[in-house]
Amino acid sequence: MKRKIDRKISGGETGFSRREFLQRSEGVAIRTAAGGAFLKLIWLDNAVAAMPAAGGYLLVDTKKCQGCMTCMLACSLVHEGKENLSLARIQVVQNSFAKFPNDITLAQCRQCVEPACLKACPTDALHVDQEHGNVRIIDAEKCTGCMSCVEACPHAPGRAVWDFEDEHAQKCDLCADTPFWNERGGPGGKQACVELCPVAALKFTEEIPKQDGDEGYNINLRGDGWKNLGFPVGSGEPSKKELER
Amino acid sequence: MNGYGGKILRLNLTKKDVSEIETKRYEKWVGGHGMGSAIFWDLVKDKAISGFDPRNVITIMTSPLGGTIAPGAAARTEVQGIGVQSYPIEWFTRANFGGRFGAMLKYAGWDGIVIEGKADKPVWVDIRNENVQIKDAGRLWGLDTWQTQQKIWGEVMGAGQFGDWVPVGKADDARRTTQKPAVLTIGPAGEKLSRIGCLIHDAGNAAGQGGFGGVWGSKNLKAISVIGTGSIEIADPNALMESRLWAMKEYGYHVDHESGNRNPQVIFWESSHDARLQACIGCHAGCRSRTATGQGNESQCVETGFYAGFDRDKHGGKQTTAALIATDLLQKHGINAYEAWRGLEYLIELNKVGILGPGRQIDCDLPFDQVGEAEFAEKFLQMISRRGGIGDDFAEGFARAAKKWGRLEEDLKTGVLRYPYWGLPEHGYDPRAEVSWGYGSILGERDVNEHDFNFLFWDPSLDVWSGETPEPSAELITSIVAEKLAPYQGDPLMLDYSTENIYSEHMAKLVAWHRHYTRFWKQSALYCDYRWPNFVHPDIPDAPGLTGEGEPRFLNAVTGKRCSFLDGMELGRKIWNLDNAIWTLQGRHREMVHFADYIYGAPFEKTEESLYVRGKYYQTWGYYLPGRRDGEWDYICVNDRHLDKAKFEEFKTTYYKLEGWDPSTGWATRETLESLELAGVADTLAQNGKLGA
Repeated sequence: MKRKIDRKISGGETGFSRREFLQRSEGVAIRTAAGGAFLKLIWLDNAVAAMPAAGGYLLVDTKKCQGCMTCMLACSLVHEGKENLSLARIQVVQNSFAKFPNDITLAQCRQCVEPACLKACPTDALHVDQEHGNVRIIDAEKCTGCMSCVEACPHAPGRAVWDFEDEHAQKCDLCADTPFWNERGGPGGKQACVELCPVAALKFTEEIPKQDGDEGYNINLRGDGWKNLGFPVGSGEPSKKELER
Repeated sequence: MNGYGGKILRLNLTKKDVSEIETKRYEKWVGGHGMGSAIFWDLVKDKAISGFDPRNVITIMTSPLGGTIAPGAAARTEVQGIGVQSYPIEWFTRANFGGRFGAMLKYAGWDGIVIEGKADKPVWVDIRNENVQIKDAGRLWGLDTWQTQQKIWGEVMGAGQFGDWVPVGKADDARRTTQKPAVLTIGPAGEKLSRIGCLIHDAGNAAGQGGFGGVWGSKNLKAISVIGTGSIEIADPNALMESRLWAMKEYGYHVDHESGNRNPQVIFWESSHDARLQACIGCHAGCRSRTATGQGNESQCVETGFYAGFDRDKHGGKQTTAALIATDLLQKHGINAYEAWRGLEYLIELNKVGILGPGRQIDCDLPFDQVGEAEFAEKFLQMISRRGGIGDDFAEGFARAAKKWGRLEEDLKTGVLRYPYWGLPEHGYDPRAEVSWGYGSILGERDVNEHDFNFLFWDPSLDVWSGETPEPSAELITSIVAEKLAPYQGDPLMLDYSTENIYSEHMAKLVAWHRHYTRFWKQSALYCDYRWPNFVHPDIPDAPGLTGEGEPRFLNAVTGKRCSFLDGMELGRKIWNLDNAIWTLQGRHREMVHFADYIYGAPFEKTEESLYVRGKYYQTWGYYLPGRRDGEWDYICVNDRHLDKAKFEEFKTTYYKLEGWDPSTGWATRETLESLELAGVADTLAQNGKLGA
């Protein structure tokens, strides 16, 4: 069943054209929400975009990551002005005793085309920020602290982070709002985690990654240089086994 | 206090008492070793007690850089107290480890831990932010270091699911983390009070030297676990970000970037190609791996080397899994890698000459025909950690074992026992060759394990072993490095390792610089030994690195202080003086400051062996260092020489004078101590009749 949907975007009507959407969304998974009390977004070939996709995404290479958590420290530093792993909007989860590559999971916000966190927000605190390339962003002033977004994120660990110090939710904004770093961030700007990763295991892209599964977001960033260092380069795609873990 | 949690955790195990010390009280020492020495000085009234005495105080200190993005500085954690490894005197000593423990301690709000007393039965310490509990460790006692950590992870995480957000306190605590608790623990070796027992954290971080594993065992302390969700305030976050980017872009502080890439691993076994590079928290260049088999996870340097050579010798030059298995066992038992390595070399020699073996003069049932096999390593390491049979002697460290067997004097004369200073194993950088390493060790209290000038050996030697001419030239390298050696900058002769120069005042200045630099910048500010200093640009061999500018830049961005490089050097000198005062009270006198006899009597021979380093095999041939020959700089082979005892005695006099210490005793003078604002230390030394004249 194909349906057209129409939903106003938060804060205005500037979406992007169907043509633009289709260009960006090549490879985006189709997901229908059958049943349920509320109409969910449905992306179909002939759909009209109701909510603009973000203009940028963070991609990671979990096999290249050295587990130093510099990305987490950079994130909390530029956003909060202090070092705090629990306030970082990207999380590196690891087990010292586990076997490579299953010893590390990198959990970055996916700037979902269809963001469950945004839809769960009862106010417009979590919104599409048109000024910053349509990143999904939380206005801390408007956040009521209901934690709906934190709970709604379908990924583990959840990518919407509860700031227990200032009591509001927060999430990756691709460094659109970094009060403690004098660099322009957001799509078109710089991201602290990408800039500081010592092994270039993080990458910014404007292309919408494949939404279904992890492979669109967890890619191979290991080039010939990495190979020359003696580390596995691989074919690029994570194996089925890895995706199942 | 920017960069600090603001409080130091004080644990009295005898009273099961938990209290706090305000960090501000010790802030002038900045962190790490300086704070640890100062706290030790204040809390331990009788410094001449045994390391096993319940009155011994162990400090575990972080620095303002801990848990930040200061490159190669976020992870290091300094452990101090009276050790039990050195012989004959159990010196007040230090060890240092990485991983994520120190950072996590700071996120929990603590700048360090002070451990006093002795529990009446085994305990572990559970730190969750401000909540600290001393708990019964009955169920952990006997477990290896890896099992212990995983048991504690399970208990602290409760019903939480690994990989998701977990509350650190009660279930409704909004403070959550995705991280596992960081645990520092002893293994079976420590429990059995081994003098060569280590503290282990995660798979491969060890506070290895000093026998602190045995000290913890004597205190019935099995483990300390910490999980924290707090913040470390940063004085100038933008400056810190920009500084890290500056180091990355201008000085190659990364692994893979636009400006190129380089393998930063420090491992002496053939690396698995199915592995990831693995780093401590905040580090810009990991030095180890996690592998697809899980074998060898997070081990590096000597841990990877201690059995690899035996493995290759046994298997026709080929490495098997034995080296990896042996290393993992070493970490699990919690045993000092240098002792296991040099100790096993020693046992093999005694076995070869018919003294040690089944039914021999020294009865030992190790199957020496199986050296190099995993089974042999397992038996050897178990003997140490369980004190089974003659393992009871091994667990005392091999200097004490040799003493018990009546062999110490003879075997130190021949050098069969490669223990050149304070009854401690030689590191691989022989005092007869790389004298700055040996001098630092004998003038201090332990094998220094400070690699600052070590590249002056590795770089030219690897070139020579490859049949290439070393580049850049010795003259150029020494001139670049010499410019970095403030306050003695501009004297390249400090780096002349020729026999004619190794007893000179130039060399004394190098040793003093090294002592002061490491005491502050590496052991108090806690920049990692592997990543600092940075004398030479990693990508431009004839260009200077960032040392001098880099160290204070990060520290000041974090703390907001205005500490110059020279301020740090001066504080390092102060800390070195405080340590020397502690050793003086323990009985130190210049008369006892001498190497083992073989260092003066037996030449340092060239060895030809297959060595795996920096990703390939080399056939070693000679130990090369910069030096002058007939007035011209070159890389010179420093083999075939031994130290001259009389000249070393003169060198000590030169060095003591340079430090402002009484050359007749090696004790600091009041004038020197007062110039460092250590008048109280001078008073104490005077009361004990040990103030230099």
